[in-house]
Amino acid sequence: MKISKVIQDTFLIAWIKSYPDFRRNPLMLLLLAMISSIPLFFMLMFSSGGNVIVHGLIGAMVSSVSFVGVMAGIQDISWDRYVKIREMMVAMPVHPASYALGIALAPLLVSIPSLVFFGALTAYLGFLTLETLVCVVPALIVVWAVMSTMGFMISTYLLKSSTMVLNNLSNLLGIGFIFIPPVYFSEAQLGSLSWVSVIIPTSNVAGLIRSYMGLLPLSVEVVIVRWAVLISTTLAFIILTFIRARWREK
Amino acid sequence: MWAELELSAVKSVGLCKVYRGKDEVEALKGVSIDVSKGELFTLLGPNGAGKTTFLRIISTQLLASGGDAYVLGHSVTREAEEVREHIAVVPQDVATYNNFTPWEYAYYFARLRGISSSEARLKARVALRAVDMWELRDRMCQTLSGGERRRAIIASVLSSNADVLMLDEPTSGLDAVARRGVWSALRGLVRAGKTILLTTHMMEEAEMISDRLAIVNNGNVVACGRLDEIKGLVKERFRVVINGDFKQISGHTEVVKLGDRSIAYLKTQDEAVDLLKTTLGMNLRAEYSPVTLEDVFVKLVGGFNNHED
Repeated sequence: MKISKVIQDTFLIAWIKSYPDFRRNPLMLLLLAMISSIPLFFMLMFSSGGNVIVHGLIGAMVSSVSFVGVMAGIQDISWDRYVKIREMMVAMPVHPASYALGIALAPLLVSIPSLVFFGALTAYLGFLTLETLVCVVPALIVVWAVMSTMGFMISTYLLKSSTMVLNNLSNLLGIGFIFIPPVYFSEAQLGSLSWVSVIIPTSNVAGLIRSYMGLLPLSVEVVIVRWAVLISTTLAFIILTFIRARWREK
Repeated sequence: MWAELELSAVKSVGLCKVYRGKDEVEALKGVSIDVSKGELFTLLGPNGAGKTTFLRIISTQLLASGGDAYVLGHSVTREAEEVREHIAVVPQDVATYNNFTPWEYAYYFARLRGISSSEARLKARVALRAVDMWELRDRMCQTLSGGERRRAIIASVLSSNADVLMLDEPTSGLDAVARRGVWSALRGLVRAGKTILLTTHMMEEAEMISDRLAIVNNGNVVACGRLDEIKGLVKERFRVVINGDFKQISGHTEVVKLGDRSIAYLKTQDEAVDLLKTTLGMNLRAEYSPVTLEDVFVKLVGGFNNHED
């Protein structure tokens, strides 16, 4: 199959999986932004000043792409199995990579408005500049990638689980990866346990973004290690998914 | 072999499928079927007969355990990509995206086949008209009836311009009116030169729309041919349905008891008329008719009397 067809199909599937929802259910965008904003409300209410709000906005940006990443990998795949669209796709001249990437990209497109909103507020507060944007965007792309591939891996290994179980699992993972680790607050608050944030992709990326914005002092070596952890985690999830996933069933 | 393949739209040769696991299930036991180009061929069988497994292998969704099948001369085992260029599938119990419209189904599925935007628009329009969904093209699927949704999905495979369409129980769960709408669309596609392979467990459906059919049971093809050829496989030609307990039937006649009713199967019309007169003389209500496909099916897959009371 030509690479141009694979790329074209990827964007087409992403469009199919996002545009109709985006157009006919715009409240979904508001809901997505509000989920990411929940901790911000508490921070505004109980903030003791300083950069707490900026930490919260960084968390909201990471949350916007992470939540949809894991949701795409689990909920969209299981929903497509349920409505049998996946079966139709397998029997079409569509490459499995186009399908997987298209599904992962779709919610990212939907999350762009809330991402822009939180990014604009951070820029207004003077922490997101064109200079930092160059590093923040790749960091957000990587956290989306790692969460999406984690979702794909889970849905591949839990092939026989019901849609309901998988939906609950994706919501639990979303909450567990976003609201519990230091995503909305600085990992410095964890003291000697701050290394935990490197293991968890969402807090790892939040820490990187904070360092790019000058909110968390990290040495170049630590930044490299953190990027290496993120990329190797993504690759591990991809490999584990490839080992088990079957486009054509045996 | 190759000359035969050129004439066939779908040809399976000794197709086998074994599902391995805790309980090993032999779903297909060497199925050989030949579907000609431009015909509507039906796989008829009870639930669990192996129809869906067969269709999933032919449509490159599932690997066979043995044998092979060819779609327009391409092996489904070795040339899956080529096969996918020529087929479009409607799976069993397919559902729709609620926020999608029939237009989007027809248009985007055509685009996914590499068809340009302008040509996809044209094909979507033709497909939606063919299944009588043009007027409803911009309605969200969640507001459509079950039959309309099914026709929207059929439009999506039709707009693909695939030569061979495979539909797994396309009318299951639909009411009589909706079913007829789908049948009408399918016959229209055959008239337009498409080859259709469909599965069903509904006798009436097989009888109404098939050019040829195969009866599948327990992973085997029990019978294959035109409707008249299949009906010719049993010696009984007529049946008399009698209301009430009736015991005066000759030992040569097969009788099925259905609670307080009896169905007698007879070889000739004269025998059927004689039996009808006898029952009417006893003040029992009765009617006779030629045997149906269902009668033949029941006989072929286990005999008239092999049923659970």
